[in-house]
Amino acid sequence: MSIHFKNVNYIYQQATPFEQQALFDISLTIPSGSYTAIIGHTGSGKSTLLQHLNGLLKPTSGQITIEKQIITPTTKNKALSSLRKQVGIVFQFPEAQLFEETVLKDIAFGPKNFGSSEQEATQLARQMAHLVNLPEELLEKSPFELSGGQMRRVAIAGILAMEPQVLVLDEPTAGLDPRGRAEIMEIFQALRIKQHLTIILVTHQMDDVARYANHVIVLEKGRLLASGTPTEIFSDPDWLRTHHLALPQATRFASALQKKSGFEFSKMPLTEEELANQLVQQLGKRG
Amino acid sequence: MNKIILGRYIPGASFVHRLDPRSKLILSFFFIVVIFFANNVQSYLLLGVFTLFCVYLSKISLAFFIKGVRPLIWLILFTVVLQIFFTRGGQVYWQFGPFSVTHFGLVNGGFVFCRFVLIIFMSTLLTLTTAPLEIASALEALMLPLKKFKVPVYEISLMISIALRFVPTLMDETEKIMNAQRSRGVNFGEGSLIKQLKAVVPLLIPLFVGAFNRAEDLATAMEARGYRGGEGRTKYRVHFWKRRDTLSCVLFGLLTLLLLFLRNW
Ligand SMILES: Nc1ncnc2c1ncn2[C@@H]1O[C@H](COP(=O)(O)OP(=O)(O)OP(=O)(O)O)[C@@H](O)[C@H]1O
Ligand SMILES: [Mg+2]
Repeated sequence: MSIHFKNVNYIYQQATPFEQQALFDISLTIPSGSYTAIIGHTGSGKSTLLQHLNGLLKPTSGQITIEKQIITPTTKNKALSSLRKQVGIVFQFPEAQLFEETVLKDIAFGPKNFGSSEQEATQLARQMAHLVNLPEELLEKSPFELSGGQMRRVAIAGILAMEPQVLVLDEPTAGLDPRGRAEIMEIFQALRIKQHLTIILVTHQMDDVARYANHVIVLEKGRLLASGTPTEIFSDPDWLRTHHLALPQATRFASALQKKSGFEFSKMPLTEEELANQLVQQLGKRG
Repeated sequence: MNKIILGRYIPGASFVHRLDPRSKLILSFFFIVVIFFANNVQSYLLLGVFTLFCVYLSKISLAFFIKGVRPLIWLILFTVVLQIFFTRGGQVYWQFGPFSVTHFGLVNGGFVFCRFVLIIFMSTLLTLTTAPLEIASALEALMLPLKKFKVPVYEISLMISIALRFVPTLMDETEKIMNAQRSRGVNFGEGSLIKQLKAVVPLLIPLFVGAFNRAEDLATAMEARGYRGGEGRTKYRVHFWKRRDTLSCVLFGLLTLLLLFLRNW
């Protein structure tokens, strides 16, 4: 499912003194099957942009095309319910959405709403709980008895159970421990490969952007600042610094090394492996 | 969540904004009492002009005040219609069984309508120009004499402050949870009554759980910092009675005199 934004503006609480424009004339394309990262300073409009992807917000002006569905300021809510199944959104701190008596029922809630039978939904729920590494014995417990990290997994499984074609993730690993973070990111990656999902990830973790994404969108104060491959975006450390964006660790290391010693990186390394390879090469040349 | 104007604060620096919250609170209540003295066209006209003058002083667009009336319009119309049908006297225009439309009925209906609108305008003026916490702290200051009668004034005012403080937070939370559940296929406000009631469960449970967690966190944080209410506690918000507050009181006094002079005895 490819996604196009055309001159999208969004204004919160229009025509009140609290009016605030959050998106300014955004035009962009998210290719089908891509792993797109959206980065930007806090308050730059990332979450606002995400809510346009399944019609929770409709543009104040402009147009969004998702596969064949067109969303304009006047689109009716009824027309959007099929879109909500195809585009699954995992919100910032999604554990706030849990409410059912048991973990299993909560995960099955989404698919049931979208027309799966009780039995199908429960089966899907078991499958997804397994996928996000929730131990079997938790499934019949109340979601409110779990730890924060486990609740996060339940919430994510609840979205995955809807079997969306586009998976939208708003800082899915914020507040998790490093191991849990890596584990969850690997789950998304595996899903993408297995089910050809389009993934859209909002994150402040540049290492995740470098490792997983193949397309990066940079927002600043509600405007589109840049878009391109991670290599393109991270090629200019000074540009990133002036826009208050961090570098991936490996790139930061390489950039510092370049300044202090004679190393020359023709292509900035994004991950530790790339960095190591380039260093080995250059050290080899020096003899 | 965008439509609620009644009870929202619009920051500003107008004459009304800068009044002491205590004087605003007293004068608003006072005005509501005074309205009931009006009983003829001249007196209502006087109050109307005065209210518009206050609105003008606040530098807030009249549209916000009109929006404040809208949620209550059915209640107002219902009351007005009752007045029109059940007041007797004067020329009879229409009659059916116990119902009749008379001259007095129409006039009274008009007055009741004006009374409602004036009260709503004045209370909207109070909430639009005074931050909720200011209102709470003014309430505390005004209730202080009740301490003599063992009324737990500090506790009441702390409760009001906390409640007011968390209204916007809870509204944000509601919106977030609604969005999350919509994304999982819940349609709020659609379908049969049963369906709509069922849709409320996935909203209310997370909301309550969140509110309880927040209350617990807040209590812990307050205790951790050694909060003890009441006696000897100094205040961050200190009220200063200024000349403009005295001026406002004088203005309201003159208004009352003029009104007593204009009304039919
Ligand atoms: N419900 C709302 N009502 C009014 N303004 C809002 C609302 N939600 C967001 N905004 C404003 O819109 C702007 C963009 O907010 P948004 O939540 O999209 O930022 P973000 O990029 O997701 O930030 P973060 O990284 O902190 O999550 C901010 O200035 C914010 O104050
Ligand atoms: Mg956000």
